[in-house]
This record gives sequence, C-alpha cells and structure tokens, in this order.
Amino acid sequence: MVQARKSRLAAALSLLAVALCLWAASTAAAAAPKRIVALTPFAANTLAKLGVEPVAIGQTVGGNERFAPQLNGVTVLPLSHPNGPNLEQLVSLRPDLVLSTKTWAKGNQAMQSLGIRVVTREPVRVNGVIPKTLAIGSLVGKLPEAKKLVAKMKEELGKARKGIAKRPTVMVILGVGHSPFTFLPNSWGGDLVRKAGAEVLAGGLSSGSGFQRISDEVVVAENPEILIVVPHGEPKDVPAITRYFENDPAWGATRAAKEGHIYISTNNSLLQAGTDAAKTIEEVRRRYLHNWPG
Amino acid sequence: MTRRLIVLAILIALLVGAAIAELALGAVKVPPGEVLDILFGNGKAGPNHQIVESLRLPRTVEALVVGAALGVAGAILQGALANPLASPDVIGVTGGAGFGAILIIVLFPEKIALLPIGALFFGLLAAAMVFLFAWTGRNRGSIAKVVLAGIAMLSLFTAGTTGLLAAFPEKAPSAIFFLAGGLTSSGWESLDTTWPYFLAGAILVLFLIRPLDRLALGDDVAASLGSRPQLIRLGAAVAAALLAAASAAIAGLLAFLGLVVPHVVRMAGRTSSQTFVVPASALGGAALLAAGDTLARTVRAPIELPVGPFMVILGVPVFLWLLRRAL
Repeated sequence: MVQARKSRLAAALSLLAVALCLWAASTAAAAAPKRIVALTPFAANTLAKLGVEPVAIGQTVGGNERFAPQLNGVTVLPLSHPNGPNLEQLVSLRPDLVLSTKTWAKGNQAMQSLGIRVVTREPVRVNGVIPKTLAIGSLVGKLPEAKKLVAKMKEELGKARKGIAKRPTVMVILGVGHSPFTFLPNSWGGDLVRKAGAEVLAGGLSSGSGFQRISDEVVVAENPEILIVVPHGEPKDVPAITRYFENDPAWGATRAAKEGHIYISTNNSLLQAGTDAAKTIEEVRRRYLHNWPG
Repeated sequence: MTRRLIVLAILIALLVGAAIAELALGAVKVPPGEVLDILFGNGKAGPNHQIVESLRLPRTVEALVVGAALGVAGAILQGALANPLASPDVIGVTGGAGFGAILIIVLFPEKIALLPIGALFFGLLAAAMVFLFAWTGRNRGSIAKVVLAGIAMLSLFTAGTTGLLAAFPEKAPSAIFFLAGGLTSSGWESLDTTWPYFLAGAILVLFLIRPLDRLALGDDVAASLGSRPQLIRLGAAVAAALLAAASAAIAGLLAFLGLVVPHVVRMAGRTSSQTFVVPASALGGAALLAAGDTLARTVRAPIELPVGPFMVILGVPVFLWLLRRAL
C-alpha cells in the first residue's frame, strides 16, 4: 500500500518536473529573439553553427569576411563608418536583436536610441571564444546547443595545440598600404599565433587596440625567425600590398627574409575573430611555424 | 529692394525643396504620401514610421539648423572683420572642434557619446584663446590681431589633430567622416545637447545686425555714430564661435559653407547690408546643407558618404558663376 503510494507520488513528481521543463523551454523559446542581425563574422557564424538564421549579416565595404556556407542568401548589410549599417535599412528589417562590435560604437548608440536591443559579444582573444559562444547561445535561446558546440571547440583547440616542440620568434605584421602595423599579443592574430607556439615579438610596443604602427628599424632590430604579413585593404589592392611586403628591402637583413620565412596570410583568419580558431591554429603551425607533428 | 525679395523667395523655395528631398529620399523607399501621413501624425506604426520620424526628421532639422548657423557665422564674421576670407576657421573654432572630436575618437572610443561635447568644448576653447590674445595687449580687437591669433590657434589645433591621427592611424577611418563633415542619424540627441548654444548665438546675432552695418562704414564713422567697433567685433566673434562650435559638434568640419554662402547671397542680392545678408545666408546655408546631405545619403545608398564634398560640388559652380558676373 505504502509502496504503491510512493510510486504514484514519484510518478506525479516526474510529471510535474517534465511539465516545468516544457514550460521553461517554451518560455525561453518565446523570449528568444527571432529577428537577429549579426554585424560580425564571429556572431554570424556562431548563429549558423547554432542553427539560427539571422535576418541579415554585416559586411564591411570592400571587406573580405569569412562566412559559413549556411549564410549564403542571407541579406547583407554594407558596413561603413561612422554608424556601421545604414540605420534606415536596419530599421526596415525590424530586428529584435543586433549582435554588434565596439567598432560601431556610434551606430550602436543610435540603434539603442531607436529602441533596438544591441549586444556586443565579440571575442578579442582566443580564450574569449568559449564564453562569447555561450553568451550568444544564451541570448538566442540555444544554450544547450552552444554548450555542445563549446565542448567540441575545446576538444579541437586541445588537439590543435598538442605537441608543440618548436617555439620560433615571430612578428605578425598588418600591411595597410605600404605601412606596417604590428599585431600585439593582445590582438586576435597575435594571441592565436602565440597559442600556435610562437614567441610573438612586438618591439616592446603596447596598445589597447592590439595594433601599433611599427618602424622597419624595429622589425630589423627584433630580427624574427618568421614574419607573417596580413595585407589589409580592398580585395583589388591586396595583390599589390602582398608583392610590396614579400620584397620589402627594409626587412632584407632579418633572419626571416634570409631564410625565406616571410609568409602572407590573406584569408582574414588572423585579423577577424572566428569560430574556427582551432583550424587556424593548426594552419599557422603547419604553414608558417612548421611545428606541427609529423 | 525687389531684387532682394526675389532672392529671398528663391532661397525659401530652395530650402523647402531641399527639406522635402531630405525627408522623402533615403536608403529605404518610403512613398511620398506615406511620408506626409507620418509627418502629419496619421501614419501607421512600423519601420517606415520609425525611419521618417526618428531618423529622417531629426536629421533634416539638424541639416537646416547647422546650415543656417554656419551661413550666419560666416556672414557676421566677414562683416565684423571686413575680410572676405573670414569664416569660423579664422577664429579657431573649426580647428579646436576637430581636435576635440578626434581626441574622443582616438583616446575614448568607448565613450563616443562624448564626441559632440568634446568638439563643442575644444571649439569654444580655441575661440576663447583667440579672444584672449586678440583683445589684450596693444591694438586690442584690431582686425589684423584677430585674424592672426585665429590662424595661430587654427594651426595649433590642426597640428594636434594631425599628431593624434599619426600616432593612432588605425583610428583614421572613424575620424575621416568627422573631418570631412557629415551628419549622422542619431535622433534628437545631438540637438538636445547643443540647442542652447545655437539659441544664444542666434540671439546675439539679432542684436548685432544693425551695429555690423554701421561697422561696415569704417571704425571711425561707426564710432562717430556711437558704436564701439571693438565690442561689436567681439560680440560677432562670440556669436560665430557659439554657432560654429555647436555646428561642428553635430556635423563635423564644414568650413566651406560659412565661407561661400554669405558671398553667394551678397552677390545675388547685390548688397552687403547685414539686414539682408544674415537671413539670406541662414536660408542659403540651410538649403545647401540639406541638399548636400540628401546626395550624401543617396548617391551610394545604403552607404552614407561625408556631406562636405557634396556641398562643394553643389556650391562651387553657383559661386563661380556669380563671381564671374559680379567682378
């Protein structure tokens, strides 16, 4: 008798728990924004990986952002200074949520004044990818999916960083026209190359932005074993920038130039935070640092 | 007199046309009937309503206010300094405002909301320094002293701006829009901050119109008529500084407008009387900036371009045509 009562009580409690879970899930789904605009490749690709299709994605004018194939066909908003997206175009999309970046601070402020919810969830360094992915998952009502994605990312990052035996000295240079800027260790690219096993040289420079204009004299004085150059400009200008830095006579005295270790990275993976950090680390190790096992 | 009335009527028509274009055109097509419905409070709620009411309307008002303010600032400075090249540049405002804005963009990018306040503060600071140097010591308040102090201050702050951009070149793209002069769709916020300066400048100008006409007769004649040339010049410089600094806080550096519009209206009206030049410059400046901004917003829509070059494209042909006829 007592046993039967206990069973009924347990069944009732289980049903109640299931009902509560269903109610919580439906509430979360109802509260989750439906019309999301992602202004950065990281946010857009994270949404794609979580199975959420944004109503629009941002693309800088003349930019070369890397988007997941699932985002083909999604409306593209051209981004330009000072606001980022055209606010009329943005408003016409009736967004519930805009995932933005601090680059568009002025635009973010204007969007908020129009009653649009604006959130910046952009990782600055590789370690930021995990919390930012979880944050985006939570924002769009896809936390369980985000947790799965994060577990996979952690595993891939672990694999990508295994067996680092060689730690060469590296300078990572952003080539803007003919002007070199150094990626500092606190930039996305600098951090990523460091995680790939390099000792990132920056001539003792620092900057909150992660980049500093650097003199060729400092590059020669630092004498890195490897120089990785990221040409920055409109796609049509990139070949000319590449040719210039590949043959920069000012760098001729460096070990990197003498040993033929000046590499060019053109796919923006070092410049823009991405969801594929593990893949990029592996690529940096294989192509530039030559410290990938086997 | 008839000619002046005709010129004023043309300027009013141009201003109305430019304002209508600014409200009706943009990156998103909103039918003209719907724009009217929204403006008269009969529009349906939705994105188009928000576009017209929260984006285009404040921007149109900003264009009209800033254009009028810069036109008037140029007119009274040219009158007070008896110098056809006078503009808000000459009293250092433009250089100071540019420096203040770039300082915020470069050093406090996370506090971008402070940009108009930075531009306003440094614009007025530069003007105050010009007044300090020009109205103290020997020959206080002389035209040469005001102009030279202004050029020195402009050079000083421009060097500061260039130095900041050279030290932080990665911030240059954000700064270019301000330096080239451009309105942004930021609702009523900028006007909320700056309207007291526009109002103070405008009130001061109203009291200066007749004294400036007397000053045009020469310092000695003006003094014999009971005017105080140095005080009038100081008043004009203060009014222009208020108007130009508040304008720079909203729309960046638009020196061309303050320089050219007063000349255009003087040549068109064939008079230098401030009773005509000041209101006509206000109308002409407002029309030119609103028309230029419509072009800047629509030529490469949805990308918005700085308005400065468009005003030059619109204004220079008219200016040169009038110049050819006048001289």
